Amino acid sequence: MTYSFFSGFSRRAWTCAALLGCCLPFTLSAQEIPVLAPPGTDLPHVRLVSLLGTISGTAEDRMNLTNYGDPRVSADDWVSALPELHHYARVSTEDLRAPEGRGMTEAHWMTIARRLQEIAEDDSIDGVVFSHGTNTMSETAYFLNLVVSIEKPVVFVGAQRPWTGISGDGPLNMVNAVRVAATPEAAGLGILHATNQNIHPARDVHKSSAYRVNTFQSIDLGAIGVADPDIVRIYTAPARLHTHKSIFNIGSIPEELPAVEVLYGYTGTPGYLVDTLVEHGVKGIIIDGTGAGSIPRDMHEAIERAQENGIVVVATARTRAGRVQDTDRRREAKIVPGDNLPPEKARILLQLALTQTTSVDRISEFFVQY
Amino acid sequence: MKPLTFFFHVSLLFLVGSIGLVAAELPRVALFTTGGTIQSRGEHRMKLMEYGAGRVTPDELLEDLPEIHRIAQVEVIEISNVGSPQITTDHLLRLSKELNATLERDDVTGAVVTHGTGTLEETAYFLHLTVRSEKPVVVVGAMRPFSAISRDGPYNLYSAIRIAADPDAKGRGTMVVLNETIHSARFVTKGNTYRVETFVAREMGPLGYVDSDRIVFYRNLLCRHSSESEFDVSNLTSLPQVDIVYGYQEASAASILGLIKDGAKGIIFADSSPAFRAALHRAQAEGIVVVQGDRKGAGRVLQSERSAGRGFVTADNLNPQKARMLLRLALTQTQNPREIQRMFNEY
Repeated sequence: MTYSFFSGFSRRAWTCAALLGCCLPFTLSAQEIPVLAPPGTDLPHVRLVSLLGTISGTAEDRMNLTNYGDPRVSADDWVSALPELHHYARVSTEDLRAPEGRGMTEAHWMTIARRLQEIAEDDSIDGVVFSHGTNTMSETAYFLNLVVSIEKPVVFVGAQRPWTGISGDGPLNMVNAVRVAATPEAAGLGILHATNQNIHPARDVHKSSAYRVNTFQSIDLGAIGVADPDIVRIYTAPARLHTHKSIFNIGSIPEELPAVEVLYGYTGTPGYLVDTLVEHGVKGIIIDGTGAGSIPRDMHEAIERAQENGIVVVATARTRAGRVQDTDRRREAKIVPGDNLPPEKARILLQLALTQTTSVDRISEFFVQY
Repeated sequence: MKPLTFFFHVSLLFLVGSIGLVAAELPRVALFTTGGTIQSRGEHRMKLMEYGAGRVTPDELLEDLPEIHRIAQVEVIEISNVGSPQITTDHLLRLSKELNATLERDDVTGAVVTHGTGTLEETAYFLHLTVRSEKPVVVVGAMRPFSAISRDGPYNLYSAIRIAADPDAKGRGTMVVLNETIHSARFVTKGNTYRVETFVAREMGPLGYVDSDRIVFYRNLLCRHSSESEFDVSNLTSLPQVDIVYGYQEASAASILGLIKDGAKGIIFADSSPAFRAALHRAQAEGIVVVQGDRKGAGRVLQSERSAGRGFVTADNLNPQKARMLLRLALTQTQNPREIQRMFNEY
């Protein structure tokens, strides 16, 4: 009994509203059906910002789901391809793609964060949607979640299939992202992610499958809400600090963040990898440990040497589920427990934490709060 | 008395006094017991099913868990000692009333309820809707009996009491804890017949975890519950009859027609069948409120033109057994489907 809003809302919205009007006395005993507002009247203003991604990619053959790319679909192309957007929001667009030939970079994070902070202070905009490539989308989203003070809804969206792909997931994802950004209940929840009809918080969302449309999951926790064909409903709010409650701010962090790199734990990860990073001048290292965040034996001495050089070491768990706990042994070894963050996100938090302090205790607190 | 002995006695008094002081400072948790596998015994430790060698009393549960005295003072209120199939409306009402009364006391931090796992989620959701307190209620059970090899009960009970004693657990309504995982009563369901990880919230996931180092909450519940609830059971001695009809290929209308005859006040149908349509229409004509549920175990029942046109209330993402609890409570207030739909949208 699926009620598709592509066929339903666009073609039937007016008939439905008119019918409801005439039959009001007869339908009052029944439940209310959400009636779409007429296009353009008093709708929230959503700014759609393109950071490209697969959702903007094209290919000549619709069966090409892997080697797509230029020419890119622009944010305006999305809006003209999706007239249904006008039922939910007044959409304006901007292009904030990274400089030609570069993927996403830390320097570009800074540009995006500054721009989002401007949008936060622009009263004419009610909500924001960012397109992004799916591979590192959760990193950019988590960075903004920590440094931009904003309460209006901000929604990251992407697609697993190019805009031209057969059964492309992009169009519905885009419509739903705009719907969520236009939903007042989505405000104050931090940076959100909406794909595959689910809503996730930036902190927890994780790309868990290379090609499937259900790739985004909050492992160990689950979604916070849904963008269903009838309504957007949000059931829970993330409890960790974010956006307007974060002490990190784009206005005060340095343009270049302290260097932090990630090492992967496996049977016999050699200590020289740690030494190499130290020589390279890193300020922090994330060890994506085995099991519950265990650090391979061969790394121990090298880690002690790194710590003597003032480098902060955080342990995450390569299991991708479950917390790295605050244990006596870890405390003695001055290893910061990475909670349940994956290493790529622990890295961002450590980079920001290191702008404030090098105290292992204080940084451990950040990993409990954020 | 020699000065040294005097000194010894004084310090002993002081020591006893300070132990008393420490104990007095520990949070007080009320343990309500109803029974279940966590309070069951088998003939031998490999007996992981059909365990029928007697019940475990609340005192035995606590004697088995001396570590509990490090984290809380526990007082026991025994409601029953039965498995979850034997839980009745009388148990629910008594449990809710006693919880409301106990949690009103300033000296009580929170409450724990032992329960059989089979219908645990129903009782938990009922308490979530009717215990009008900000203090935590934690429902706990076990998948292996008290007497079993690798039994999960002791650590589950320890975890539950720990959460009930935690100030951060306040305002979260009724929770369910097994397998170190904290679930909201709103989303949790038993998802496996025998495994220890049986309790899951298929889409929204758990609220947090109870780990050795700390209790961690990652999610705050936005659905209405407990202290914000409009449902008051203090003067109720029964609840309206609501039953569930399961839909499948060629399901007949017999069960619906039977329920009409039986005087049901509400029907939840978990998926449909062509034969249901006329029968449900007849039920509505008799004043029975019909809720459209779903048997899939995940996903919302959407609010559609078609369902609304037929006068159905849609169950959101509540499973049929929880939709039943909400409908029973809703029917104590109103029979208006629109008003009941509002409740399904808010709770």
